Amino acid sequence: MNTFALAPLILVFPVIGILFNGLVGRRFVDADRKSGERWSGWFATIMVFAAFLVSLSLLGSEVANGYHIEIIPLATWINIPAANFTVPWAMQIDTLSVTMMLVVTGVGSLIHMYAIGYMHGDPNFSRFFAEFNLFIFFMLILVSANNYLMTFVGWEGVGLCSYLLISFWWDRVDENGKAMNADAGRKAFIVNRVGDFAVIIAMTMLFWTFGTLNYEPIFAQAVEFFEEGKAVTIGSATFSIDAVITIVTALFLLGVAGKSAQIPLYVWLPDAMAGPTPVSALIHAATMVTAGVFLIVRSNVLYELARISDVQIFGFISSPELVAYTGAFTALLAALIAFTQWDIKKVLAYSTVSQLGFMVAAAGMGAYVAAMFHLVAHAFFKALLFLGSGSVIHGMEHGHHEVAHDHGNNAHHGEEKFDPQDMRTMGGLRHRMRVTFIVYLVGALALAGIVPFAGFWSKDEILAHGYQHVKFVFLILAIAAFGTAFYVGRQLQLTFFGKPRSEAAEHAHESPKLMTIPLMVLAVLTTIGGLMNMPFMTRTISESYNGHPEGIWLALEAWLEHSLASFEYTAEGILSLPKTPVVISPLVAGLSTLLAIIGLVIGFLIYRRQPKTAEDPDPLQKTPIWWFSILPLETLYMKTIVPWFKRFAYWLAFPVDWEFWHNFVHDRLIRDMFVSFSTFLAEVFDPLGVDGVVNGTGKVTRKLSQVFGSLQTGYVRTYALSVFLGAIVLIIYFLFLAR
Amino acid sequence: MPNMVTIEWYLALSIILFTLGALGVLLRRNAIIIFMSVELMLNSANLLFVAFARYLSDLNGQVLVFFVITVAAAEVAVGLALIVVIFRTRHSINIDEINLLKG
Repeated sequence: MNTFALAPLILVFPVIGILFNGLVGRRFVDADRKSGERWSGWFATIMVFAAFLVSLSLLGSEVANGYHIEIIPLATWINIPAANFTVPWAMQIDTLSVTMMLVVTGVGSLIHMYAIGYMHGDPNFSRFFAEFNLFIFFMLILVSANNYLMTFVGWEGVGLCSYLLISFWWDRVDENGKAMNADAGRKAFIVNRVGDFAVIIAMTMLFWTFGTLNYEPIFAQAVEFFEEGKAVTIGSATFSIDAVITIVTALFLLGVAGKSAQIPLYVWLPDAMAGPTPVSALIHAATMVTAGVFLIVRSNVLYELARISDVQIFGFISSPELVAYTGAFTALLAALIAFTQWDIKKVLAYSTVSQLGFMVAAAGMGAYVAAMFHLVAHAFFKALLFLGSGSVIHGMEHGHHEVAHDHGNNAHHGEEKFDPQDMRTMGGLRHRMRVTFIVYLVGALALAGIVPFAGFWSKDEILAHGYQHVKFVFLILAIAAFGTAFYVGRQLQLTFFGKPRSEAAEHAHESPKLMTIPLMVLAVLTTIGGLMNMPFMTRTISESYNGHPEGIWLALEAWLEHSLASFEYTAEGILSLPKTPVVISPLVAGLSTLLAIIGLVIGFLIYRRQPKTAEDPDPLQKTPIWWFSILPLETLYMKTIVPWFKRFAYWLAFPVDWEFWHNFVHDRLIRDMFVSFSTFLAEVFDPLGVDGVVNGTGKVTRKLSQVFGSLQTGYVRTYALSVFLGAIVLIIYFLFLAR
Repeated sequence: MPNMVTIEWYLALSIILFTLGALGVLLRRNAIIIFMSVELMLNSANLLFVAFARYLSDLNGQVLVFFVITVAAAEVAVGLALIVVIFRTRHSINIDEINLLKG
């Protein structure tokens, strides 16, 4: 008994939501604001929730059917027999994809519900939900695909939706006249594209090597080819299979850097905070940015093969090591930048980059289960934090409105620039927004890694794995964890504790239930989420599984093992997946908890006294850490790549396209030749030639008629003469000529 | 003595009369004179008919003369009526002036 046949419904439900909101949603909302918003918003939410229910049923089916991989073909997409190239449109239901589906639809439906309250009053309400559902649709395609190309469709689709949703308020212009939201959306899309380019090349290489893009055949063939030591010919170059796998995995890393905001392509994520908060929560915390991590975990066989091959990139580092170090350094760098941010959402954005670094580092070290565990836990608490920050921002905006009304004059309104997201104007909000404070605290503690919240268990697993296998990565991640705790403490202190630093903060009030209920659900999930993969759960999920010698089961690991072929291959001795320690190491756990507590406390203490008012400088500004406020990579890009690109684009647009192509080729060559030819026809050929013939005919006729007319003299005697002559002719004819 | 006036003499006379009549039609201006010339042509033909009837001893020639005379008479009647009408409007029967059909 299984519900696998229902799987395509997870794609159908969001489409229904898109059609409803895209086609008729606006009419509902325009007709009656209140009920229209309810129709539009709840319809979208219920569609996502329905997809969540189907995912739950798939979870049950997986459990009931031995956790096998089920392929559900939907259609054949590309079929080129001559090139032996077939790409199906098919879903792969296995434990990994079901995990991602549950996260996407579960957290997604909570965020949809929150957005109904958050987007209240927005003139483009229904368009928001149409685009939101579109995102869910593409994300589900990404996670449920059975081949790289279909995943890539979802990959690009979520990039598109990210662009649409970041620039949702595209007509907003800041004080310099720059369209900041549209710019942010463009930046996200373009930077993503760099990564996509790498993924396309990698997919092409995969196709040329394996003849297919489906996951299962590729992984099976990869192991086969690797054992044979096969040589692969791509075009005119020959590679060993080791080299191909290393190149492909390295290119995937570049794609992951784009999508999951790692060095060097993380620059779009902080700018993406210009979008509405639910967008930041869903796309840039819980789902889209995790697509990169998902890709690495999906391709775990390839990464493990790269690990045991001898090929080194640039001669000194293997591909998975590169992944691990990229993740680790990104985690550290982003944490340091987060120290210097004023905007509440930017802190969370850099925090996301940092936590993604943790996940990518884990995946690079071979701890795929730990990466997925952190992915799920992070989805919970980061969405919670973002939604909580949205609640704070809402409260600040309401407070600002109240203040403006109290003062009673609109002259005040435009004068002072008020940024509801600036933490310097906040303070003391825990008294005014109690529910938000409590749930935010839960999320913050989870992020910092405090027992017993989910963040502790997942981060600790990564650190433990690092300690056992790659100590240098462990070191960097430990420092990053300390930094995480510090900026979390800083943020809590600036926002919720102390005294309000502006009138708006004094008048802030709690957000409506529609917004606080999802927060509470997420807080509960964050608290109990650690149970997913705790190291000392003795209850097994599948009785038939017998792999762990110690007999201690990690639930998520037992669940995911069935989809990660590396585990099987390691059991057979073909690969050697670094094993995550199953027992808690007191050293690592103790160290990480200590670091977290110390970080929190230091953050609290430093920001306890200052800044006292909104204009005071940050205490850290005197330290070298403030250097990170100039946003290293972004400044570099803006000074170098962007001007070069602009110059190149300008060159293409003006000299090449306008002057050469348009002015010269089109205007001079084509148009002028044509015009002179038609002028010739019109002025020379037509009057002289055609008219000449026509007029000439007329003239000839007239001449003839003149000639003939002159015969009509009206003169009787002439007529008589002609009769006479005619008679003579006839007589001569009959007398002499006719025999 | 045998008849000295042979058919050739009648033929010649007829031809001369016919020629004079034709010339009169072509060269004279007065409409009545033109009619007279036409009558002359007809009569020359009549003369020839009778001459041949006598010469060939066939009376059909003389019968034909009756027809011709009748037709000539009718034609003259109609023609003179036309001339009268023309004279009423134009007060002249100079055929050179009747040239309204000039093209």
